[in-house]
Amino acid sequence: MRGFKRSGEVIKVRLSDYETAMLESLVDQLSELLAVDATEVADADPFVRWQAELDGGEPLDRDDPVITRLFPDVYPGDPVASAEFRRLTQGKQRTDRQRQIEVVLSGLADSQAGANPIQVRLIDFDDWLKTLTAVRLSLAVRLGIQTAEDAEELAALPEDDPRAYIYRVYEWVAYFTENLLGLR
Amino acid sequence: MSRPAEAPLVNWVTIVWDDPVNLMTYVTHVFTTYFGYAKGKATELMLQVHNDGKAAVSGGTREQMEIDVDAMHAYGLWATMEPG
Repeated sequence: MRGFKRSGEVIKVRLSDYETAMLESLVDQLSELLAVDATEVADADPFVRWQAELDGGEPLDRDDPVITRLFPDVYPGDPVASAEFRRLTQGKQRTDRQRQIEVVLSGLADSQAGANPIQVRLIDFDDWLKTLTAVRLSLAVRLGIQTAEDAEELAALPEDDPRAYIYRVYEWVAYFTENLLGLR
Repeated sequence: MSRPAEAPLVNWVTIVWDDPVNLMTYVTHVFTTYFGYAKGKATELMLQVHNDGKAAVSGGTREQMEIDVDAMHAYGLWATMEPG
């Protein structure tokens, strides 16, 4: 990751082919996690697909701690009202997230595996930030980061610990995000 | 539940909670971008979240706060709402 630069309404940064593929894979995983079940409606006409999206598809698996972090209870201590809130809002949250994910994926694709700089248009700025943040939140849950101390312990892990690699990826996404914010 | 007739309708707040993941610069960006707060106020709220563990970032009717909490979740912030 190098050469962060803003020209007018566009922020440019160069990623290596490896970095591009890594970010693409992380964003793909997020997309799969939030996807409205495509197999169910793949062959249906557009109206049916649209209706399925409005309904929010199958409810997300709340046994997955990533899901409960991305969609926390709105009313602490009132699971019924919180579930009702989710029923009304989650469909749109998921379609919005998928649209933001598409912005990031098409930006990565346009760079042709690092041959060209990634171009983040300022009108897409929050789409990138929201997607990068959701990726970091997912990684943080998988890494078990619940406190600042947890993160410090991960930073001190030996290189051969499998979590050390994921933690470096997590920090890489943070660095990417910080640099974008610095040029806003 | 009964409510005195003079009770204001504007009586809910959106709470943003501290978490070890979201970057301080990002949280400030969200407060300026979504709420339109000036940099100073947004930074102050961000620091309150960071230092005190939480901050009330907006207030209004229950319906308005549901919109704000939903927006905070879309940004990946950990937000709840409660009667203010």
